[in-house]
Amino acid sequence: MTSVTASRLDPAALCRAVSSPKHGAVASFVGTVRAVHAGRRVKAVSYDCFVPLAEKELARIAAAAERRWPVRVAVAHRTGRLAVGTASVAIAAGSGHRAEAFEACRFVIEEIKRRVPVWKKEHYLKGDGRWLAGCALHRRRA
Amino acid sequence: MKRKIELYGRLRDAGFGSVVLLELPKAATGRQAMSALKSAFGAKAALLAGCALATGDEVLSPSDALPDGRLAVLPPVCGG
Repeated sequence: MTSVTASRLDPAALCRAVSSPKHGAVASFVGTVRAVHAGRRVKAVSYDCFVPLAEKELARIAAAAERRWPVRVAVAHRTGRLAVGTASVAIAAGSGHRAEAFEACRFVIEEIKRRVPVWKKEHYLKGDGRWLAGCALHRRRA
Repeated sequence: MKRKIELYGRLRDAGFGSVVLLELPKAATGRQAMSALKSAFGAKAALLAGCALATGDEVLSPSDALPDGRLAVLPPVCGG
């Protein structure tokens, strides 16, 4: 269960999606828009996205996590302009035990930052804005 | 032939809008497309540093032939 959406995220729904009577753990991670970054006061962040590739990369990352650990993973990423405190990304991992659920959540967010085509523009209280630096993309051979 | 290249992130603020049209050879590679993009960007070509071409399915390498369908030039990413 992966998605890119312009709608409000529902982390509880992701947790339900990865829950199972066989699982003893559900770990979740929610990224939110922070009010201060690098000493600048932020009022909002705009998330730009190349949606078709982002959807495929999220699905590939979730599948990679499920191959690496005995987990079920759900992940959703926002697009659009988000106010401070708004959830921008949500991840849930359900598993038999807590260790692999935590590890899968960490893996998914780190891979998102490295390879999902999303860009953030911070909007500051003073009225200016700035695109944030990131990780260069490279061809990934199967 | 004319190819439409979608722009994202910082490239949207370069003054070209969200798309540029490039004149490219029929069997152009990613490298040729990036070269044409740099020419089109002119004084703003530095914005293309670290960028990659991609389809809706995958990131292209410089030696890949450009496939049909959507093409985008993607700056370094910072999701999450």
